[in-house]
Amino acid sequence: LCRGGLAERLCRLQNRERSAISFWRHQCISDAKIPSDKSGVLMVRILEIFEECTIQVAICQQLEQSPATLSPEDAVINEEEPILKVLFTKETAAHLKSRPQDVIHIYPPWQKLLLRNADVPVIMNTYFSQKVLLSEHSEAREKTYGLTKMLIRKNIISLAQTFRLDDLDDEFHQESSENWVARAPQIHNKCDSKQHPLALSAVNDSLLEMVESQGAVGWREAQVRVVIQRVYCLPAKQGYRSHVQGNKPLCATPIMNTEPPNVRLCLLVQDAYGMFSEVQLQSLSSIDDIEQYWRRWEGKFCCLSGVKILQRTTRGRALGLFSLIDSLWPPVVPVKVPGQSQDSEMMTTDLPAPSFCYILTVQSGEVHVEVDEEEQISNLYQPPAVHSLKEILQIDGCNERCSFWAQVLYLRLQTKHSVPINQREILLFVTDSTLQNVVHMIPKVVAVSVTASCAVSMEIIEALSVASRLVFFKDALWGNGRIICVERTVLLLQKPLLCSAAGADLSELTGPVRLDELDSTTQANSICALRGTVVGVNESTAFSWPACDRCGNGKLELCPQDRELLYCRQCSEVVITPVLKMQLEVFLSCPSRSQSTVKVKVWHEISFSILNTVGLGRQRVQSVLGKEVGLLNCYVHSVTSHPNCVALEEIVLL
Amino acid sequence: MGSTLPAVAEELLKEIKKAFQESSHVPDDLLLGLKFIFGPCAVPALDLVDQHSVTRVTSPSGRVLYQVLGSSGKLYTCYSSCHFCTCPAFGFTVLQKSESLLCKHLLAVYLSQAMGACQELTVSEEQLTNILLAEEEDEG
Repeated sequence: LCRGGLAERLCRLQNRERSAISFWRHQCISDAKIPSDKSGVLMVRILEIFEECTIQVAICQQLEQSPATLSPEDAVINEEEPILKVLFTKETAAHLKSRPQDVIHIYPPWQKLLLRNADVPVIMNTYFSQKVLLSEHSEAREKTYGLTKMLIRKNIISLAQTFRLDDLDDEFHQESSENWVARAPQIHNKCDSKQHPLALSAVNDSLLEMVESQGAVGWREAQVRVVIQRVYCLPAKQGYRSHVQGNKPLCATPIMNTEPPNVRLCLLVQDAYGMFSEVQLQSLSSIDDIEQYWRRWEGKFCCLSGVKILQRTTRGRALGLFSLIDSLWPPVVPVKVPGQSQDSEMMTTDLPAPSFCYILTVQSGEVHVEVDEEEQISNLYQPPAVHSLKEILQIDGCNERCSFWAQVLYLRLQTKHSVPINQREILLFVTDSTLQNVVHMIPKVVAVSVTASCAVSMEIIEALSVASRLVFFKDALWGNGRIICVERTVLLLQKPLLCSAAGADLSELTGPVRLDELDSTTQANSICALRGTVVGVNESTAFSWPACDRCGNGKLELCPQDRELLYCRQCSEVVITPVLKMQLEVFLSCPSRSQSTVKVKVWHEISFSILNTVGLGRQRVQSVLGKEVGLLNCYVHSVTSHPNCVALEEIVLL
Repeated sequence: MGSTLPAVAEELLKEIKKAFQESSHVPDDLLLGLKFIFGPCAVPALDLVDQHSVTRVTSPSGRVLYQVLGSSGKLYTCYSSCHFCTCPAFGFTVLQKSESLLCKHLLAVYLSQAMGACQELTVSEEQLTNILLAEEEDEG
């Protein structure tokens, strides 16, 4: 369906109407007596029924007063009572099971239509109709009738009768403005005791009310006051992350930002009743801005107005959103309970977790979010609970949001070539003092997978590619033994002002970082340290290449002017003395994993100083065999059991 | 007693035309009225209008017919002189079972007329005849 089109609008109206109908029907069943509020109720007595297509047409007499005063057996048509043609849909007709002489009460909102050349007005939209049984006799009769099927005449409509829409300019033009009578007032929902829930410029504190009265008079000016629980970015379309060049160790290659990020600023807000809503705001020109918004806005009150409903989503459909909502549940202060009169406000924290959430967006143009930055942090605000990595690894649960500080040791881009660069996952290897200081049973380093849906700012990626930095992971997801950063996770470099830190300052690492040693539990896509003896060399993998001695660029080109010389595009200069880089695959025998063949791709200068193989030749290879290698930091590419082999690549930690 | 529904449907469509001419907007009341009278084909018909799927095809002699691009990509022909559409739903629901006044394409034609959303196409006499005959061949 077209967004914003008529079909979509009717769909929405229809859904609302359907729920109003089923609510009303349910109310009719539970309220045994006729409601006393008679305003707008049409009372009719059916005289004749026939069918046209699936619509049931009932010729009726309109009753002025309650039919209880009339004799139920009175079949004489009082000539003064007006005649109406009441239309019922197939479904309403099946519900009513009307017969001639039945009395029907039709509750608003019904609609009246006056046809041009006919005297009899037509009543439509008769969903809220109820048959009224006047006496015991009628009830008994109803029961017997229920057993026999009534035959209703069906009018077949001629196809020759087309509709002519183009005679509006004739004399009937004046009359036509009265043809469509405004609908009778709608029954108010039982919970809604207020007369005008959205008086102009009144500030509301209920998101649900604001959302449900969308389209009503004065809705655009109404404001709702909420607390901003979280600030984050969501990708607007597919490509949102800036290009990161290549997947070789990043210290050699500068990061190039070739695509502007396509992200929107979003807020997760909560109202005084504890209800959540995600509000999608404007596009951000740079993800770096998110930090500013987070600092200034998170925890504060804000007034929203002129929001548009994008979607009403449920727990089953938006697991990510609800894992974040669950981390904020139950509320830290009592919230109001809806449905009670506003005088005696009930407050509670004992409510079931939310099962649905509205996703709102602001209309383009005017500013519709006013954040009270000067004001204090709201009591309702729940800052992210910060834990140590050791505590997180011990969390027993799935899809739990967690926040922590960690030192990033190594960064790797996933190398699936089928996926565009800006949608590749980043793998970060992190640690903190709680992991480093532990003797055994807990890994020293944890992998954090940053998925394509998590918006990460360039500032962070650049910072992480240069040196080891302390990063705050806000609302990451823990589950199935992995930490992942998804939508709504925010990565930050600075320390937040508010966070409930558990225990000592977790940010300082004392001493050099240690990795877990390669052993039988080592898995693929992890990092580890190893030591061993060289038992073989895979000569076919050995190659060397020149690199620029100034910037380290490994992709040198031949000079266009003089094909003997090398040229570095990044320095824009000829390279006189290139550095020779080498890559070689060696087989090691590691005592910590003695059953496996350990194959390591070594390339860094340090390891070559150990291996001492500048200029490979047969002799040099021989001299390498038997050499001790260790402690080498490596990334585990793969672990296979048949053959029992571990393939690694030497890495340099940040 | 003569039939009621066509007059009601016609009046409703006229109201929509009037409202649209006055304010370029169709009020909620009228949309719900469409749903009430036309039932399940109201929303699909509006969708066809949203997508400007209706073309009014005319020939120099003044003959008119409508072509509607259905959701499946098929082109259906609706007559202007009587209620007829080449779609299978019309044959079944309207002709055979008399369950509906119109199919979604015919309703879309009327709504497009009311809201000025018809695309216009002028063809030669021969081309228009071919369109009409092509339908006959399909049925044959």
